[in-house]
Amino acid sequence: MTNAMIKIDHLKKQFGENEVLKDISAEVDKGQVICIIGPSGSGKSTFLRCLNVLEHPTSGKIVFDGTDLAQLKDGKELDQLREKMGMVFQSFNLFPNMNVIENIKLAPMKVKGLSEEEAEKTALELLERVGLKDRAKQYPSSLSGGQQQRVAIARALAMNPEVMLFDEPTSALDPEMVGEVLKTMQDLAESGMTMVVVTHEMGFAREVADEIWFMADGYLQEQGKPEELFASPKSQRAKDFLAKVL
Amino acid sequence: MGKIKHLILILLVSLLGLSISTATPVQAAKQNKVEANTVLQKIQKSKQLVVGTSADYPPLEFTASENGSTKYVGVDIELAKDIAKDLGAKLVIKNMSFDSLLVALETGKVDMVISAMTPTPERKKSVDFSKIYYRPSGEYFLINKKDQAKYKSIKDFAGQTLGAQTGSIQYELIQKQMKKSKVKGLGKINNLVLALQSGKVAGVVVEELIAKAYAQNNKNLLAVRSDLKEDQAGNAVAIAKGQTALVKKVNQTIDRVQKDKLIDQKYLPAAAKYMKTASKNNSMSKYLPYFIKGLGYTVIITIFSVLIGVILGTVFALMRLSNVKILHGLAVAYIEFIRGTPQMVQILFVYFGVGYLISNLSAVVAGIIAIGLNSAAYVAEDIRSGIESIAKGQTEAARSLGLSQAKTYRYVIIPQALKNIWPALGNEFITLLKDSSLVSVIGVSELMYQTQLVQTSTYRGVLPLFIAMVIYFIMTFTLSRILNYFEKRMKHND
Repeated sequence: MTNAMIKIDHLKKQFGENEVLKDISAEVDKGQVICIIGPSGSGKSTFLRCLNVLEHPTSGKIVFDGTDLAQLKDGKELDQLREKMGMVFQSFNLFPNMNVIENIKLAPMKVKGLSEEEAEKTALELLERVGLKDRAKQYPSSLSGGQQQRVAIARALAMNPEVMLFDEPTSALDPEMVGEVLKTMQDLAESGMTMVVVTHEMGFAREVADEIWFMADGYLQEQGKPEELFASPKSQRAKDFLAKVL
Repeated sequence: MGKIKHLILILLVSLLGLSISTATPVQAAKQNKVEANTVLQKIQKSKQLVVGTSADYPPLEFTASENGSTKYVGVDIELAKDIAKDLGAKLVIKNMSFDSLLVALETGKVDMVISAMTPTPERKKSVDFSKIYYRPSGEYFLINKKDQAKYKSIKDFAGQTLGAQTGSIQYELIQKQMKKSKVKGLGKINNLVLALQSGKVAGVVVEELIAKAYAQNNKNLLAVRSDLKEDQAGNAVAIAKGQTALVKKVNQTIDRVQKDKLIDQKYLPAAAKYMKTASKNNSMSKYLPYFIKGLGYTVIITIFSVLIGVILGTVFALMRLSNVKILHGLAVAYIEFIRGTPQMVQILFVYFGVGYLISNLSAVVAGIIAIGLNSAAYVAEDIRSGIESIAKGQTEAARSLGLSQAKTYRYVIIPQALKNIWPALGNEFITLLKDSSLVSVIGVSELMYQTQLVQTSTYRGVLPLFIAMVIYFIMTFTLSRILNYFEKRMKHND
């Protein structure tokens, strides 16, 4: 395919003796929404964290914007590529020493060199988009989990990324707050954002994803459109997993 | 395996650090850094004669207050003035504790020592002496008046403790001739007198004039002629080894002084005049400028040491957290070494040891460096623990936004870490303020040193200490209020 945005080629990741990812090859196309599902410990999060090199791959390639990220050492080039990949974490990871709008403005100002006014304007637009404009001056500790995660999404979007990575964004939330975050993500998907989402929310995956990747035991076991994969999984591992969660 | 390698590395680095730091003084001691006949040249070139003395020994050397400023006076000071005059130089007095004098001389901190010093064979091994300029009339016991009937001669002190200045001839005399008594050595006479008054020692052995001066100024004390036998009484000027030309010049001055009988006719009467003023007006308010000057220096030392401590401490903390093994090892070695050695030793080492390399290192600067370097080790550990207490997710979030490692630390990690470690840092600053009193040993006019001056000048031991304590407390209390204010302000933000 010519419009592959991220091309993953024979990716492997080991922690000491423990081989977490054992040869994964796949492609993410522009505008695609991919949901990665699978049992706990299957390597989903590690895979996602390899994509923006928060974990350095042991071997293999991750080609993004024509550059193999797997080869890059910590430094300016990697920092510049990370700008283009927004990431949302399970535990939000907002900066507790800054209020909401400062959280969002930090990277645009300090990395992109935007002026205070420009950054403020973008930040307020994004807060409006995630429905939290009135919370701009509050500190993260005074927000609910769902609100914090929406701020985290706005913070990642402020860098105007080409792709958004979500690492189990709703797993740490109280059930009544899951909906508001998924709604924000769905809006984002509909706006055409390329997204890679590690999730246990099968309903969301089925409804929003263009493609489901099923991971188990460090392998990408199966890829397919949600209606196909959920209805008739081919691998035995996928059948067992879906039987448990659906 | 990795752990063992790591340990070996640390050991190696600390050994390296040790060998570097010990190499200098050892070499210097062997070569005797003050080279032959250089001191006279130096004096003539700079037109300055630096004389070391322990100014707590009236009437030979002591301090007097004149128009609110300290003045060094006494027989030895008068002699120093005449020597300086003959050399065509301006006299600069460096006041330090008696046991630091010879080190200061050997390391070139002072050009000569005039401090009622007796030329013993031991001392002659490390320095040279002029001819004897003054022969004291004998050793006296300084005792409490109420013990008048109890202590009259050596045998009366059997089983008792006697005080003497550390490193002094009297100290040795007690050890050799009063085997049944114990000896307690302190650096300063006024502390010995305090020990006497508080019953810590039964008597203090000092030279006649000094004993009489204290007895005269304190009606509870009594001076008693001792039956200690001296083989080699007499005071001489100490000069670094190999300075024959300078010794010759000093001897010429001494010849002149003796020929004109200056000691009896001019020096002693001048000293007596100052001792009278000292005994007449002992009110503390007169010594307020002393305390204010000391306070000023203490504040200056604290501020600059804190600055050094925080800046270097941050550097060492980052080095210790670094993945680069050599940086990590260096930081660990530094921190462990500093934390494992007494601060007093570090201060003396910086002043006398590093002074070899930088000859005009002033005592204040040496004190600031020593305390700052010490503080850096503790601050580094505080900062490291603070940084480690910040969840990894914070770094990941920042890095995923494209922030560099440095910017992540600057905007995300350090501000949060600072808040966590603020109480610990505050403690460190308060400890530092108090520990700055240690630099009094190298003669920096900070509060503790000034307090000792007041003790000497007023012949009063406890009141100046109490005043110093109150001033220290006011400072630390104010500091802790300020720190609390910032702690509260930082808490406000979450």
